[in-house]
Amino acid sequence: MSTPTFSAATLPANDNVSSYAFGVELNGGRWFAQKGKMIAYYGQISFEALSAGPLDSLVASHFHSPLYAHDWIVASGSGKLLLADRGFDVNSFDLDDGNLTIRAGNLLAFEPGLELKQSIIPGFLTLLGTGRFVAASNGPVHFVEPPIRVDPQALLGWADCPSPCHHYDHSYMRGALGTARMLTGLGGQSGEEHQFDFTGRGTVLMQSSETVAADGGLLRQIEGQLGLLGTSGLQRLHQTIGARLQAERD
Amino acid sequence: MPGYTAINAKMLQVDIAPGREAYSRRGAMLAYTGHVDFAPTATAGQGIGGALGRAVAGEREAMMHVTGHGTVLFGRGGLETHVVELRGDTLFVEADRLLVHDASLQTGTMFMGEQGGLRGVVRGAVTGQGLFTTTLTGHGSVAVLAHGGVLELPIRPDRPVHVDPQAYVAHRGDVENRLATAAGLRDLVGRGSGEAFQLRLSGTGSVFVQASEEKI
Repeated sequence: MSTPTFSAATLPANDNVSSYAFGVELNGGRWFAQKGKMIAYYGQISFEALSAGPLDSLVASHFHSPLYAHDWIVASGSGKLLLADRGFDVNSFDLDDGNLTIRAGNLLAFEPGLELKQSIIPGFLTLLGTGRFVAASNGPVHFVEPPIRVDPQALLGWADCPSPCHHYDHSYMRGALGTARMLTGLGGQSGEEHQFDFTGRGTVLMQSSETVAADGGLLRQIEGQLGLLGTSGLQRLHQTIGARLQAERD
Repeated sequence: MPGYTAINAKMLQVDIAPGREAYSRRGAMLAYTGHVDFAPTATAGQGIGGALGRAVAGEREAMMHVTGHGTVLFGRGGLETHVVELRGDTLFVEADRLLVHDASLQTGTMFMGEQGGLRGVVRGAVTGQGLFTTTLTGHGSVAVLAHGGVLELPIRPDRPVHVDPQAYVAHRGDVENRLATAAGLRDLVGRGSGEAFQLRLSGTGSVFVQASEEKI
């Protein structure tokens, strides 16, 4: 296996350079990109925060998520831009007057032909319209059709589906043994009590592992609501977080 | 019976039906269709005595019993999966490398001393495998986890295989497994090659090696 050496002229434009990197060509156009996902570029490209004055009208019409505005920049100018994310697999997808919802941390960049909105499911963003976007996944993306139930952490996104609903399963808690298990806590939990349930028509995107990309927006959203909990709520949350950390270590 | 289908290097599809149930690591389910139940289990098919033995041995990873009728996708931590088909032989594997296996397989715990006596104990201590290892016997499929891809190297009586302890995943067949040291004076003064300890596997069977020295 030989690795080709690229120059400004031969670097793939709007295509994958390898499984782990994607090249975007800018010809005076603009792309929205998540902060920190640009690894290299050729040409004259400037990166500006969404709050920059000249971008006002673009942001107002295409970026409807104040929660994630801190994590995004606009690349403009002309040249070629390389995107990558922690060695995750990177893929581009084309939407044609479509809609697709994706985990916020896994969306790397999108064309301004698309509009970005926050999904009703926390931690997910919805893209609407026509254009191309680039997303990262741990391992290749696996497409499945409903009906299916997906572990929340393995879910990458979904297209054309109605919103998923929560599915809870505690069936092993039933019966005499189940009651004993519930009362004593012996036997533990399976860790698979909760899934997102998809029904109807559409496509569900999965990543191959439960390793989740860090999501600053979701964290800020939760932090912003902590004040509503009160002391007892905070104590309860503290316990839940302890149990969750324990489970992650196992 | 191709019950286990690799979707890609890190994702595995397993068909579950009555009579074709499985044990898997807790929390390793990625998605499922159909009616499938996941129940935590402490025994993983070994009975109470076996469960106690495993607890004492430290060869206990939280497992769950997967039953019902449907299709389940498994994966864990972005690690590669590798399926081993057993046809009446035995697979020796560390419990923390198991992703999912057929419930029809017999699981057990083996004391390292049974393989090479005191040497086996020393091997377990030096390689970080511990003093016990998990065995799976019977007819069925086992999926193991590895960091990087998995190679299966055949072992023949005239061709023993030396493996870096960190890259060792599992082995099968009638294999003697012992620690080989190449430690010399240079290692003592900190000028060793970094490859002072190897596992020497001899006999008839095969060993599974991962393309990485990262333990999981």
